[in-house]
Amino acid sequence: MDNAIYSGRDVVEFSIWDVLRNLLLAARWTVALSLITFAAGGLVAIILVLIRNRTDRWGKHVVVLYVQLFQGTPLLMQLFLAYFGLSALGFQISAWGAASLALTLYCSAFLSEIWHGCIQAVSKGQWEASACLALNWAEQMRYIILPQAIKLAIPPTVGFMVQAVKATALASVIGFIELTKAGTMIANATFKPFMVFSIIGVLYFCLCYPISRYARSLERKMNVR
Amino acid sequence: MSIELDFGAILIEWPQLLKGVGWTLFLTLSSTVIGVSVGSFFSWIQWQKKSIGIHVVSLYVESIRNTPFIIQLFFIFFGLPSLGIKLSAEWASVVAMSINLGAYSTEIIRAGVEAIDRGQIEAAYTLALSRAQTFKRVILPQAYKKIWPSLVSQIIIVMLGSSVCGQVSTEELSYAANLIQSRNFRAFEAFIIAATIYLALCILLRSVLNRLGQRYLFGTRRG
Amino acid sequence: MSDKPLTSEIVIEAKGLKKFFGSKSVLKGIDLTVFQSEVVAIIGRSGSGKSTLLRCLNGLEAFQEGSVRINGAELKTNNAQTLRALRQQIGMIFQSFNLFPHLSVGENLMLAPHLVHKKTKNELSTQAINLLKRVGLEEKFHAFPDELSGGQQQRVAIARALAMGPSILLCDEITSALDPELVSEVLQVVESLAQEGMTLLMVTHEMNFAKKVSHRVIFMHEGRVHEEGSSIDLFTNPKTTELKQFLSSI
Repeated sequence: MDNAIYSGRDVVEFSIWDVLRNLLLAARWTVALSLITFAAGGLVAIILVLIRNRTDRWGKHVVVLYVQLFQGTPLLMQLFLAYFGLSALGFQISAWGAASLALTLYCSAFLSEIWHGCIQAVSKGQWEASACLALNWAEQMRYIILPQAIKLAIPPTVGFMVQAVKATALASVIGFIELTKAGTMIANATFKPFMVFSIIGVLYFCLCYPISRYARSLERKMNVR
Repeated sequence: MSIELDFGAILIEWPQLLKGVGWTLFLTLSSTVIGVSVGSFFSWIQWQKKSIGIHVVSLYVESIRNTPFIIQLFFIFFGLPSLGIKLSAEWASVVAMSINLGAYSTEIIRAGVEAIDRGQIEAAYTLALSRAQTFKRVILPQAYKKIWPSLVSQIIIVMLGSSVCGQVSTEELSYAANLIQSRNFRAFEAFIIAATIYLALCILLRSVLNRLGQRYLFGTRRG
Repeated sequence: MSDKPLTSEIVIEAKGLKKFFGSKSVLKGIDLTVFQSEVVAIIGRSGSGKSTLLRCLNGLEAFQEGSVRINGAELKTNNAQTLRALRQQIGMIFQSFNLFPHLSVGENLMLAPHLVHKKTKNELSTQAINLLKRVGLEEKFHAFPDELSGGQQQRVAIARALAMGPSILLCDEITSALDPELVSEVLQVVESLAQEGMTLLMVTHEMNFAKKVSHRVIFMHEGRVHEEGSSIDLFTNPKTTELKQFLSSI
């Protein structure tokens, strides 16, 4: 972070360039947090999907409940619980740690739901066909179901990346300094909230729009086939 | 160290929580009504297939869908006053949520509109209905029916997103939870209870909306 | 009943009608005159342009050359106002019924008169019940389209078209989507309309029906009116080889 932000009201004049430079620097953290939580969320989601597909009824119920909990409560509450909640219970956790934890769990719930849906979409009918070929579960998964499911899963997964990027903005609320938090600080310091929030909006748009476009073109390609 | 949980300390503040729930529901319902109206209107503009209209609407839809809700809210609450548009926290919240839902519902409703059989439109034209009448009386009701489940999910997402409005001091549920925990330092319990209430609202809202859909869209036989 | 209709007022007049889909020419210059209370059947192979011709006559399709006059007024597909006025005089029944699935049978009948003619609810429901009686479905007023058989749906569609008080009805293969046993109930309704003096222009594959009901038959082939004449002449004494082939193929 740049010192100009912290010096706050002592610094009277910020040029647009100053603001933009500082926001761009902060945007790195948005990108980093997005990538980390998306990757970690993906890993957790794989485990969740495995549990849901592989275990008895009990495991399925647990995963369904997990997804319900994370999709049925506000991300903000999840972040508050991870940050203020855990530290009230005596677990000291940094804003960075709490944000990564909460966003990872949040992403994992959505991704596991998307991926489970894709496997479900492929497996009806295919399971029986492949079981006839005397393949075991792992072989069926590996050679029959997954190759098709992954194809189905790519467009919505890319689409979800947009959600993940936007979700990181809430980490600002627990004090993690990424694009949104840096923006509010700069807006307070410069007394130019209109300009600052416009720039932040444009920066998020620049991050998200290409991904949205890409997701949509993937989707269109798949529908053509 | 031992952890003692005291949910009673939170529940005793129920008037505060109740007020929060009230605001959360108010924000959700008002933005649903406005947002879905906005979405219906913009999907009508898109249906006109006039290129200016399509471009304006897609600029709106894309700029909302590709920026975080919190930035939209901050822009309206903190940014707009410099243009002389000063809204209270509550109104800024309603406006932000409506604009947000408006963009998503435009997309959702448009998909429904595109899925309507061409024959329906031809039949309406043949009966001398105007384009506007055809859209409003023939296409839109059928589109709603097709996309109601997606619309319900989006309304739920917006309801959960309303928790962010506490950040501009709208006294909705998450604001209430924050207020309570700042008084008694029981953050964990406060947010667990708030989250539980949100979950309950989520389930409640879903079932109410599904029932409304059943009643008014899915041909519950009248008369 | 191949007597000539009594009056000789022209209600549909198409001249030199040409229609292209991209570079493909679908109608290659159609001249067509239909008199009041005349029943005209259009026959021909699929792809001969019969349905397109019908759809050009009420402005569902735009045409590139030629002109169409309905009851003396010129059809302009680019003018929404006059097009709507014209469509009030010319009803259309579709192969796939196209009833509005979100409305009850009664509401299907009342929607357009309510919106276009601004009539009161009372007037409209009396009218709707009378029309349903006419097609033998008065007990289905409150039913929804998906509760009806195909034949019933098509009869409702006819009643719906009649609710706008048209002087001309276009019928686009209205029995093609029906199970064979349901065809006759729909054709009976059409026949009664013909007897009541409605001007009917119908694209049909029901040759016996065309023979029985129509005054005049038009055979279309490759976007042109290939042969036309009274139904007796045309069916018993076809002149062109194409019509002979067509009639022997069915």
